[in-house]
Amino acid sequence: MKAQVTGFLKNIVNIKGTNKGLLIQLNDMASYTEILDELKKKVSDPALEGDAEVQIQLAKRHYSDGQLEEIKKVIHDHSKMKVISTKCDVVTVEECNRMISERQSETYVGIVRSGQVVKAKGDLVVIGDVNQNGRIEAGGNVYVLGRLKGFAHAGASGNKEAVIAASWLEATHLKIADELETMTDELDSLSEQPEMECAYLHTSGKIIIDRLQELRFLRPQISTFKGGS
Amino acid sequence: MGEAIVITSGKGGVGKTTSTANLGTALALQGKKVCLIDTDIGLRNLDVILGLENRIIYDLIDVLEGRCKIHQALVKDKRFEDKLFLLPAAQTADKNDVNPEQMKELIEGMKVDYDFIIIDCPAGIEQGYKNAVAGADRAIVITTPEISAVRDADRIIGLLELEENLEAPKLIINRIRPHLMEAGDALDVNEITTHLSVDLLGIVPDDERVISSSNKGEPVVMDPSNPAALGYRNIARRLLGESVPLMTMDKPKPGMFGKLKSIFSSK
Repeated sequence: MKAQVTGFLKNIVNIKGTNKGLLIQLNDMASYTEILDELKKKVSDPALEGDAEVQIQLAKRHYSDGQLEEIKKVIHDHSKMKVISTKCDVVTVEECNRMISERQSETYVGIVRSGQVVKAKGDLVVIGDVNQNGRIEAGGNVYVLGRLKGFAHAGASGNKEAVIAASWLEATHLKIADELETMTDELDSLSEQPEMECAYLHTSGKIIIDRLQELRFLRPQISTFKGGS
Repeated sequence: MGEAIVITSGKGGVGKTTSTANLGTALALQGKKVCLIDTDIGLRNLDVILGLENRIIYDLIDVLEGRCKIHQALVKDKRFEDKLFLLPAAQTADKNDVNPEQMKELIEGMKVDYDFIIIDCPAGIEQGYKNAVAGADRAIVITTPEISAVRDADRIIGLLELEENLEAPKLIINRIRPHLMEAGDALDVNEITTHLSVDLLGIVPDDERVISSSNKGEPVVMDPSNPAALGYRNIARRLLGESVPLMTMDKPKPGMFGKLKSIFSSK
């Protein structure tokens, strides 16, 4: 028995070739078991040869983490294809709230002294110094209007695009996502003048320090303003 | 109604006890009625520096546990007629035998009789520190021009700022060696105060006689010609609300301009 498909796709599972590899589109109107069966059939097709990279388009339907794993398993078990990403057009309320809180900015006015920890879910603005052994941690970016002399962690929930910017950047430790950099002598000598600087995660996976003015080229997405007047 | 001041530092050996003894003595010299409380239970030595060791009969724990009345435990310093008293710490108990509420109650009761109650805090940030800070109205943080001492001062200031009943802490930089500061081998006064961003209450130069006089049981502040004594006397005057310019050390005598400047800054 075949379900009546009314979505934007005629098929339950659609496989397309794109310039970035294969694209598997799952119909968001079909039942989950139908999708799995159809997917198994399609990916087992010997016509699909080679170890192509695939992206999965989930459309307007929410899959649980377990279901996503199951889908990936079907593909990996029945073909040589490798799933590199999944794209979903819907988010749960929970995810949405997390995304909102990560985009919000919190402000701390005062000195973060030795032994103190200041944490924010989103961006963190510290107006004051962060002394040695003081620690600031943010899910988003970290901005310090003052001397950053302690430990700063940006992108604590995994955001590799997060940056650390300070009026005076002479931190003992910088951490972005999971990458930790201790400020060694070489790094210190690179930044002779630690004034108005920012730290970001370079594509090489290392933390790089640059002038604050470069931030608009390095991370243009931080700006929430479009155009000018 | 008097005022309770806790002298603390985080790090040990920077001169908390010496400063407590000298500030207390300096205030007594100014005619104020002062009681010094040693809260370093188990490791007391404020009594030694004041030369009152032999006269201890009861101690802080005896008072708190009701074995004696407070006036029985207080040791009077006979050099200052009814001006300087010491409540010694117990040597046979430890810091966990006291709790902050007891200290608060004790000090609150004593404030009626004294102009100043100066509390000598033990090193560290544990129970002993909590006991010492509990009854205080304001705090003085002692540091020396060493990075380790400044780090600990920073930590302790952070903790003091969390105390609701306490005024913003003030800083004393102790054991200053002018030649090291000038050569850049030690942190200078400005660096330390900007780093800690608290008000500077005063500076005390390093002087050998601080040690020798402590060994004799005579606080150095009693010798008016000594530079460290001058440092402590200036701090005591500032505690009494006077505006005293920061002392200069080993520098040539100020010229015309410097003199004018010091006249104006002292108002």
